[in-house]
Amino acid sequence: MWNLSDESLLAGLGSGDSDAAAVFVRRFQRRVFGVTLSILRDHGAAEEAAQESFVRAWRPASAYDPRRGTVAAWLLTIARNVSINMLPARRFDPIDPEVLLGIEAKRPREDGAEAQVVDSELLREPLARLPGDQRRALVLAVFYGFTAREISELDGVPLGTVKTRIRSAMMKLRSELRVSDDQ
Amino acid sequence: MTSEMGCEQVRELAPELALGIAEGEERDAALRHLTGCSGCRQLVSELSSVGDGLLLLAPAREPPLVFESRVLTAAAEPPTRQRLQPLARRRRWVAAAAAAAVLAAGLGGGSVFLATADDRRLADGYQAALSQGQGSFFAAAPLQGSQGRVGTVFGYQGHPSWVMVTLQPSIRDEGRFQVQVVTRDGRYLPLGDAVLGGASGAWGGQLPVDLSAVHELRFVGSDGRKMFAATFDAANPWD
Repeated sequence: MWNLSDESLLAGLGSGDSDAAAVFVRRFQRRVFGVTLSILRDHGAAEEAAQESFVRAWRPASAYDPRRGTVAAWLLTIARNVSINMLPARRFDPIDPEVLLGIEAKRPREDGAEAQVVDSELLREPLARLPGDQRRALVLAVFYGFTAREISELDGVPLGTVKTRIRSAMMKLRSELRVSDDQ
Repeated sequence: MTSEMGCEQVRELAPELALGIAEGEERDAALRHLTGCSGCRQLVSELSSVGDGLLLLAPAREPPLVFESRVLTAAAEPPTRQRLQPLARRRRWVAAAAAAAVLAAGLGGGSVFLATADDRRLADGYQAALSQGQGSFFAAAPLQGSQGRVGTVFGYQGHPSWVMVTLQPSIRDEGRFQVQVVTRDGRYLPLGDAVLGGASGAWGGQLPVDLSAVHELRFVGSDGRKMFAATFDAANPWD
């Protein structure tokens, strides 16, 4: 069971397989809790959000579509959205990009989740090399779902500047992934 | 200005589209363009992979030891337990709604005469009240806190739909809360701020969705914790 692919585990969940459900939770719980805690910065709220994320992943309405990314990315997107919705009216303590980049740079990979980690690890160094303002705009967009307009208002920076920062950062990271694909 | 977009404009917006943060007409126009342009779709797809990868960079954290068992219990609950409890109440609502519908249609059928005179008066009054605002139904649910029931939430399905909350007089401490609606398809919608407790025994607000779409109404404290909540699934007469 532990060696089953993420997709196979999800199929097991759909058929009500309790063993598959347990393995699925064990496989992703640290990652999901990591996202909810990064966003909410409160253990109680993060646990509630993480639990809600798994429950939503169970629902047929949240059906995973393999064409739109990995199981891990899908699940973490659910965790991100649940967490954002639990943030009290945009009063938040955004995760420090340096913390995001530094703390677990050498983190061992979780059993059974190697395939999803590889590409993201390729992004860590290029993300660290981005100018700080681009990195901040990207973190606010990716982790908090802030639009360019909201970041502009939050940081007191012209909208066009924020859009440029997000675009420049994303294009650079895309180039890094493409380079790694070509090697 | 943004009714139609070319490739160049869409590529400018592609990072925001990929991150799901593009807005308004600009987003709509870009999405229309994407339906017919495989090159731009490919770019957005690649940028979406970048966004996914960034989310995966969040540091993993060890949840509490009991987390796994809590998740498995919670995941197993909704289809069964949540629907067992409301059955009696739901039957009552359906009976009242059915009686009201028959009365409204001017039919004398057997179902009406199966009800008592009190039931018929109740259904008549219910239907008359609804007809004043062309509403569909009223509902009510207990408002629960960590120590048990603290009040009642009343809801109305109409144009607009709304909720009214009353707190028990025993809740003496006044608090400021953010009110949120959790919809049955999992969305969280803000309803605004509320001051409740002490001299503030009631609060009301307009719903941004139909009452029938509401799963839960929750009151969140300044620390982000859910303080009070009322679940409406049981009170929905159309379930």
